[in-house]
Amino acid sequence: MSLPEKYKLKCDRVIPQRYKHMVLSNPTEPNIPACNTRTVPGDMTERGCAFAGSRGVVGGPIGDCIQIIHSPAGCAWYQWGTRRNLSPIYAWAKEGVLCNDSHNRRRAITTDLQERDVVFGGMQKLKDACIEAWKLIPGAAGIIIYTTCTSGLIGDDCNAVAKEVQREIENETGKPFPVFVIDSPGLCGVSQSTGHHHFNVQFYEQMVAFRKSHPEVCMKEEEKTPYDINIIGDFNMDWDLAYIKPLFEKIGCRIVAVFTGGERLKNLLKIPDAKLNVLHCQRSCTYISDLIKKGFEVPYVNVSFFGIEQTAKALRDVAKFFGSKEMEEKAEKVIEEEIKAITPALNFYKEKLKGKKVGMYVGGPRVWHWQKVMHELGMEVVFSMCTFAHEDDYEKINRRAKEGLFIIDNPNEFEIEECLEKFKPDLFLTGLKEKYLARKFGIPTVNSHSYEKGPYACFRGFINFARDIYQGIYAPVWKFIRDDVLG
Amino acid sequence: MEDLKINGRLTIEQINSLKEIPIEGINYEQIYIEKEPICPQYIPPDEDLIPSSKRTVVIDPGRICMPFGAMWASVGIHKCIPFVQGAQGCTTYPRYTFSRIFREPVAIATASFHEDAAVFGGRKNLIQGLRNLIYRYRPEVISIITVCSSEIIGDDMEGFLIEAKEELEEEFGPEIHDQVKFVIVHTPSFAGSHVSGYDRAAKAFVQTLAKKRSPNNKVNIIPGMITPGDIREIKHILELMNIDYIMLFDISGTLDCPLRVPQQMPYYPKGGTKVEEIIDMANSVATFALCPDEGGSAAAYLKKRYEVEPVIGPLPLGIHNTDKFVKKLSELTGKPVPEELKDERGILVDAMADTFHYTMGRKVAIVGDPDISAAATRFCCELGMEPVAVMSGTFSKSFAKEVWNACQEYNYNPTIFNGGDMFEWEDYIKKNRVDLILGNSKAVNISKEANVPLVRIGFPVYDRVGYQRRAYVGYRGGEFLLSLIVNTILDAKFPDDRVHQ
Repeated sequence: MSLPEKYKLKCDRVIPQRYKHMVLSNPTEPNIPACNTRTVPGDMTERGCAFAGSRGVVGGPIGDCIQIIHSPAGCAWYQWGTRRNLSPIYAWAKEGVLCNDSHNRRRAITTDLQERDVVFGGMQKLKDACIEAWKLIPGAAGIIIYTTCTSGLIGDDCNAVAKEVQREIENETGKPFPVFVIDSPGLCGVSQSTGHHHFNVQFYEQMVAFRKSHPEVCMKEEEKTPYDINIIGDFNMDWDLAYIKPLFEKIGCRIVAVFTGGERLKNLLKIPDAKLNVLHCQRSCTYISDLIKKGFEVPYVNVSFFGIEQTAKALRDVAKFFGSKEMEEKAEKVIEEEIKAITPALNFYKEKLKGKKVGMYVGGPRVWHWQKVMHELGMEVVFSMCTFAHEDDYEKINRRAKEGLFIIDNPNEFEIEECLEKFKPDLFLTGLKEKYLARKFGIPTVNSHSYEKGPYACFRGFINFARDIYQGIYAPVWKFIRDDVLG
Repeated sequence: MEDLKINGRLTIEQINSLKEIPIEGINYEQIYIEKEPICPQYIPPDEDLIPSSKRTVVIDPGRICMPFGAMWASVGIHKCIPFVQGAQGCTTYPRYTFSRIFREPVAIATASFHEDAAVFGGRKNLIQGLRNLIYRYRPEVISIITVCSSEIIGDDMEGFLIEAKEELEEEFGPEIHDQVKFVIVHTPSFAGSHVSGYDRAAKAFVQTLAKKRSPNNKVNIIPGMITPGDIREIKHILELMNIDYIMLFDISGTLDCPLRVPQQMPYYPKGGTKVEEIIDMANSVATFALCPDEGGSAAAYLKKRYEVEPVIGPLPLGIHNTDKFVKKLSELTGKPVPEELKDERGILVDAMADTFHYTMGRKVAIVGDPDISAAATRFCCELGMEPVAVMSGTFSKSFAKEVWNACQEYNYNPTIFNGGDMFEWEDYIKKNRVDLILGNSKAVNISKEANVPLVRIGFPVYDRVGYQRRAYVGYRGGEFLLSLIVNTILDAKFPDDRVHQ
């Protein structure tokens, strides 16, 4: 279906190739925009790089290892304590005192590549840096090395270095010490999505190899339970896991590992030993779920933990998978209790938010996760945008949205401005960079990446989400913009 | 619910068993999370490796990359959009950082390097990118900023730009050359830091744009990476003294903007230095590079090429440095120091006289960019405080010299960390008596872990609001910083019955 003339944004008249990235939704015959392709140079994209996807998103939340960035200091600085991917694991600040921030956000560790390394190579430097970091941050469970544009372009053989470092440390301690490499330079691929993919595939391969060479890290038969699950693709934004994990424990599941929110490496190595993977972020972590399914015959279920209907479905689907009558009954009981606990608060927000218009711009999956959530709040989605979504994400948006929703792939700054003016939403769900732009046009925002005051997941988190949306729309400040008494 | 709470918070289990969620919800600040140690027992780090000179690994660098400094400079120019010749992260990460600090939108374009650029070079990306940017945004200036990848690939930026300009002329007509100015800034990130990136941008801008005309009787100010509040304070001093000026990279009009609707599309901040002003910098009486490492080379260039008198540092923060700045201004312009300014100085001195019992003898650790760190060190000396561990995240000769000189004058002998990392500086604080830290948001964890209070100053402060709007420089800025320092000491060290006298 070609885009109706009135949806062809004015700002793109001079780069008409952008129109291929815009469609109107159709729930029965999905319209998929051009997506997961190269960005138009100079179009003011909001996209990040593959390194941001591998280190920032998927690898960053791992709780107890040294994450060393093989790069000039800049790349390491930029990913230092940014996303609110929280973890309960803290390194020692000094004797008797734990650090102030969880280990995954506390430090920036880098080889700080200099001009001479670019000329002569940085492998020796990387090796020394790994060993030194291990001696300076004792107690870390392993090392993950990330490459960036610089180390990628100079062609350092980081895998060879990793093997040497692993051998030396294991020889000294006599304990398993994984040293993995995630090779995902910033200029690889079209967006941060490539980095998610790289992390999944490379982590999987190295995890499998490590389990082979160190069988003691696998879960022993006697430790296994019939209802062992992993939560795949949740990064514990603002402690979402505080609401996700207990739901599954209440219905009788045991969570082996979370990939990767705040998790310990030793648990991540046991992922293939579970019975089922419960997959939340289906953009960044379907890859590893597919690999585990193929390699270890562990199936996965796609779920969403946002809003009532989807969280209930997640619990029902997991119970159904195990085919246990008892678990299904427990799930129904939990769902009933949870709905009862949030109904009074939710009713308050539904009343306040009924009919409000919302524009949405997030990375990918949240845009379809949240279509139903907005519907549950009685709000109308007036446009949806994704930074790095693929065909399957857009198909899901089509299926979940009302017919004729305006969808843009990889929107740029100007398109966002024009959509805000054109659709005049009462609220814009977006990220940190774009929220300040929206506010300059007088439009309230809720940070949809790291949240405002989360957790937003599951039933109880839904109230926080609704509250932040309500506070966004009803903040007194907006009336001072509209009623400018000075003229 | 009250009796369930641990330190005013609820455990995950308790929250999940509540029968009803209150209307306000239960969010992160109410959840009690039990901290788990990374390993059961404390293991000390290897002492031999703590000094940064004894190792290759860098832990917690106090510096970012050169392109960031060049972008900072560029966003201080009116209707200027930086075009970053690299991967998308090289733009998105800095934009994120600017937004975090200034809480403002920042427009920066990217060449969007993907694999093909690594193989074939970034020529196509630049030519197409500039065309698209100009068509839609009509900027008056575009600074073309290189990064690691474009420098390693060996992109011939000057050659590419000539080609791009030819194509632009074909599409937009010859007048495009008057409408848009281009400035190329080479900033390979594997050398220098954001400090040198800003310095290189300053030099590139004046080299490319400044032109000899008739004398303008103005002074040039190259502020360095100080806050919008600082820049306004410098302007205030100049205006009090009735001195005409050109403020280069004036972020006070671009990174601290009012919310007023309706806005124009595309959004451009109202302020920033005009191209015309940069051209005119060749005709000024003098150039004050307030931060030697962030603008010094541009001041030196203007001297060499156009005989504009350079005054390079120190940053006018504290009494001595501000006196020096004001006296030099007066000397070079022939304008007397007005009464109002003498009163502002007097108010700072008055505030110092009122508070020295709180500040004297306090041991202070300082971290930041070289020029701010050095100036803050001297101000601490002026308050009778003892600098014990002074760090510049970027290596700088002028920093070491200035810290040494200030401390010699006041008979102190601090440990100077010049261009190392925050890990070694942190170790000093955890092992020695320190009463106060002056530093940026990256010192928060150290402050909490060592239980030493923190005064926020310098780049970057992103975990509190309003600091970017405040001035630390000048006499009034000195009074603000003094109050921050004293109030922080009072909060941390003085029981309430000692304060209410």
